[in-house]
Amino acid sequence: MATALPTLRRNWLVTMRAYQWTYFVGTLATGILTVGLAYLAFHAIGGGRAGGGFAAAAGTADYLGYVTVGAAASMFTVRMVLWVAKAQITEQREGTLESQVLAPARRLPYLVGVGLQALTTTVVEVVVMLAFAIMIGVRLPAPDPVTLLAAFVAASVAVFGISVPLSAIMISVGEAHITQNTLFVAMGLLCGFTFPPAYLPDPLRWLGEALPVTSALRALRAATLDHAPLSVAAPDLLLCLALGLAYLAVGLRLLGPAERIAIQRGGSA
Amino acid sequence: MIVTHELRKSFPAQRKLFRPAGPATDAVDGLSLSIPPGAVTGLLGLNGAGKTTTIKVLATLLRPTSGSVTVDGLDVVDHAREIRRRINLIAGGERMVYARLTGRENLWYFGQLYDVPRAVLGTRIDELLELVGLTDAAGTLVERYSRGMRQRLSIARGLINAPAYLLLDEPTLGLDAPIARDLRAVVANLARDGVGVLLTSHYLAEVEQLCGHVYVVDHGRLVAEGSPTALTAGTRLPHTVELTLAEHAPAVSAAVAALGAEFEVGVDTEERPTFLLRSPEDLAGELATAVVRAGGAIVRLEVNPPTLEDAILAMAGTPTSVAAR
Repeated sequence: MATALPTLRRNWLVTMRAYQWTYFVGTLATGILTVGLAYLAFHAIGGGRAGGGFAAAAGTADYLGYVTVGAAASMFTVRMVLWVAKAQITEQREGTLESQVLAPARRLPYLVGVGLQALTTTVVEVVVMLAFAIMIGVRLPAPDPVTLLAAFVAASVAVFGISVPLSAIMISVGEAHITQNTLFVAMGLLCGFTFPPAYLPDPLRWLGEALPVTSALRALRAATLDHAPLSVAAPDLLLCLALGLAYLAVGLRLLGPAERIAIQRGGSA
Repeated sequence: MIVTHELRKSFPAQRKLFRPAGPATDAVDGLSLSIPPGAVTGLLGLNGAGKTTTIKVLATLLRPTSGSVTVDGLDVVDHAREIRRRINLIAGGERMVYARLTGRENLWYFGQLYDVPRAVLGTRIDELLELVGLTDAAGTLVERYSRGMRQRLSIARGLINAPAYLLLDEPTLGLDAPIARDLRAVVANLARDGVGVLLTSHYLAEVEQLCGHVYVVDHGRLVAEGSPTALTAGTRLPHTVELTLAEHAPAVSAAVAALGAEFEVGVDTEERPTFLLRSPEDLAGELATAVVRAGGAIVRLEVNPPTLEDAILAMAGTPTSVAAR
């Protein structure tokens, strides 16, 4: 924690100084629009009922609840990935990558510090988005608190895990936007944020299962929509954790060589 | 001691779509050098000589392609983390610090990254801010600093871990003259206190003033080493002596010619006769004696020994300022 907490503090100071509160309006827009548009479509087009196959594919007939949890998870994932995966390339762009790499501090606690700061910011954003959903009439059943907490932890590990190899890719190619947006598009298609992956062809479903966010999302929905006990969600939680930690291990292995490529290339990204 | 043995660092050629990659570039090619503790060692060369790449390898930022680099016997590849505790790097330019933190917050954060004990960190930050003249600006965001202030903060950052070895890559670039002078004093004091310093600088007077031993590299290869005085003497570049007489004296030219050195005769802006003498040795004394004995009245005598800059340019195959004089 000798590096994580100072990095958390540093990022808080920088964030408070760099961004005005209006910046967060933009970050909330995607989640709010997703829920708002789903609400309109559900009532104006669907007449307040989901299609016949939805319940079978999604495991629930509560379309708005399904979309709201998915939108919250999507917002959480995207915001966390943006903070953690872009931490190193931001250092590169600001000219501090070399001074950071030069220090004996390890990368994992540094990224944990970035992740902890991102977590606090992102949780607030997600809570605001959920408050909007409730305000427009979406009703979520009372979740199982233990399963929800476990799913939240597993989802955090999963998102943190996939952010680290993404960070390595970003600094080694010196580019962030194409890299991050490719991942976001893939996750939006494969992970089941707004529609059940059961609608996808088998190869795409298998691909989606390789991303830990898919199993994290199933566990989150089990906790919030089905009030599932921990034992029911455990297989998804374990899969999510295993995949997240595997991505993390690969990412940490890649970061050192990626940093050297970035320093070798020199200049800013 | 930092020791490199046959250090080589190659950069692969950039691959282009539909075009074959070119050959790899050898930025450092078989470099062997030693940086002892308690001394300032210079690393000189023209742009592209491989100085910065060498420093980045010594700083563990890049890995050598071949050869070895050790710091107090520890290999830079196998023990990078341990070496990072013992070294630091200060590079010219104002980057390497966080713009949206204050000067004090920057030093605090880097102190944490270097695991500086909490009991000494506060005192050390105060001392370093004092050292670089930023005490009054300690609470100001770095984005509001001038370029020179950022560079001074970068210097303080480089000293936050009290390094045993300090790598300085153009550290006075962009600094005002008084601050650059103070930094030179700091570097000299650090060496006196036992820190091993490697210095690259385009200000060769700085190198002559600080360095006891200098390595000269060209295209990644070591072309010469020694003290600044020995390097300058070793190139056998001429001393020049410029002499102005009050008026023309017929016997003087013959007396100067008798010294056996190359010389030119001319007149200055006041139409007074001048002599420009070039010789591997300083012939000022002999010249003055010969001129006076020949009846000449000397109004001006200026001796210009070859400088380290002349020597470096000569080693790099570039026409020197001496030759141009």
